Amino acid sequence: MKRHLRLFLRYFAQYTKVRLAYKADFLIAFFSSMAATVLGFGFVLVLFSKIPRLQDWSFNEVMFLYGFSLIPLGFFNVVSWNLYDFGELYIIEGRFDRVLLRPVDTLFQVIFEKFRLESLQEVVTGLAVVTICLRRMHLALGVADYFWFALMVACGAVIYLAVFLILTAVSFWFEDRVGIVPPVFNMLNFGRYPLTIYNVFIQFLLSWIIPFGFASFYPTTHFLGRNTFAVYFHLVPVVAAGFSLLAIVVCNRGVVNYSSTGT
Amino acid sequence: MPPIIEVKDLTKEFRTFRRREGVLGALQNLFVREHVTVRAVDHVSFAIEPGEMVGYIGANGAGKSTTIKVLTDILVPTSGHVVSNGFVPYRERRRYTKHIGVVFGQRTQLWWDIAVIESFKLLKEIYEIPERDYRQRLDMFSDLLNLREYLHTPVRKLSLGERMRCDLAASLLHNPPLLFLDEPTIGLDVVAKDRIREFMKEVNRTEGTTVLLTTHDLSDIEELSKRIIIIDKGRIVFDGDLGQMKKRLAKYNQVKFFLKDRSQVAYLSRVQSDGIVCERVDELTYLIRFDREQHSSAEVIRQIVNTLEVRDIFVEEEPIEEIVKRIYLSGEVA
Repeated sequence: MKRHLRLFLRYFAQYTKVRLAYKADFLIAFFSSMAATVLGFGFVLVLFSKIPRLQDWSFNEVMFLYGFSLIPLGFFNVVSWNLYDFGELYIIEGRFDRVLLRPVDTLFQVIFEKFRLESLQEVVTGLAVVTICLRRMHLALGVADYFWFALMVACGAVIYLAVFLILTAVSFWFEDRVGIVPPVFNMLNFGRYPLTIYNVFIQFLLSWIIPFGFASFYPTTHFLGRNTFAVYFHLVPVVAAGFSLLAIVVCNRGVVNYSSTGT
Repeated sequence: MPPIIEVKDLTKEFRTFRRREGVLGALQNLFVREHVTVRAVDHVSFAIEPGEMVGYIGANGAGKSTTIKVLTDILVPTSGHVVSNGFVPYRERRRYTKHIGVVFGQRTQLWWDIAVIESFKLLKEIYEIPERDYRQRLDMFSDLLNLREYLHTPVRKLSLGERMRCDLAASLLHNPPLLFLDEPTIGLDVVAKDRIREFMKEVNRTEGTTVLLTTHDLSDIEELSKRIIIIDKGRIVFDGDLGQMKKRLAKYNQVKFFLKDRSQVAYLSRVQSDGIVCERVDELTYLIRFDREQHSSAEVIRQIVNTLEVRDIFVEEEPIEEIVKRIYLSGEVA
């Protein structure tokens, strides 16, 4: 554990150094990431210029939800870069062989070999938006809430990561990858609005099949004092643990399949 | 001492499916797949003693890389037993990999975008190499392989030869007792090849590192290893001493001669007789390959000097390339 933490810091420092060596490249990436974030909030603004409330959710509440979800999403984006073209780079091009040759956990190597640094911007922006919204709603967090907040952010990031790890692991079985990642990635944004605005089918889907609701919606209900979802809120760590376990199992199975077929 | 690598009845099968062509075929592929099982390695057994340098050769697709990949824990065998350095590679992956070094000539193990020295530092952390050992080995490799001038260059900017030397150094930083080299000299020029071979010999001599290398360049084997294992269509067809192989399998001798001038070409046919055929090498150079059982070298030479005016004449043993080519083509060892 301690060794992996040290390795993580090493990998991170190393990658940061490489990334910052190409200043223009990094700045462009940073500003386009920023633009995407601003556009997302812009959409919420436009929406509320047409309607006063979204169901029984006020502008500040929706902004809070949207801002909150940006924090775990930001952390997820930082480490998920390698998952996008995993099949291409690691399986077809054969980089995965190198990963298997090193005495370090395979998942660890794949996730932490590359960082989307500019996405740290999302974490900061999310925190800022959440703070402003709380102030505008005259809500104050208690000491325990800070603990919950941190835990929920961590769980949210873990849920996002677990879902995409499972999808990525599909590459271990199918060389010619089915385009399954982009639609799921779009669904991620569904989870950043109040789940109650959707029909039952989508609510169920976003809770139990692809649990994005547990990464953003259910956690925020607690901080906004909406106690109807108290049970769901307390289930967040359970869902996070469950899905990460599933992700680890699927990935390990994938590695075994890779080694026995050598696709 | 017990062998450091023991392979018994190793078999590895791949299941692939036949791809149909065209758009319709691709659609069909989605639903109905015709599976084909290919046996890449077929009941292979061998043992390697500590400190040996063994050449593992075979034509493309003969099963060399598959064997190496099983030994380096990338692939799990379909059946058979493998014990390497006291481990069963695919069962104790993470502990095992600490004790081996691997170089794939076709692709680098280093990080593409960062300076060589930074890659080395990362490897130091990954393999938990003590600072003193790391310094000492880095110094030694830098001298032997002449790495110093590009330690601070990103890997992607290196030439193939430079990259190969860095890869080799990287694979040995943690001082593994076992080193696997898969086509380490592929695409390199003569000087680069030579440097790498010298380095391998030095490491083998000073550290006692056991080396298993695959190659298509048989001069690698002649330079480096005494022992050679030949695999063909997944089966081992020869395993033994290189000299022994020549003695057992060399069927032909060859006499190479240089004609005095062009006028002599006209008389070439007079030399030829049953089992003695002239091959043209260039304008004035000719080669006669003949079965050693049927003719003696003396007899062939006599024939040549009696009928032709020659400037020089050499008797050679059949080159190992030729012997191996024959094995690849016929698939059997006489």
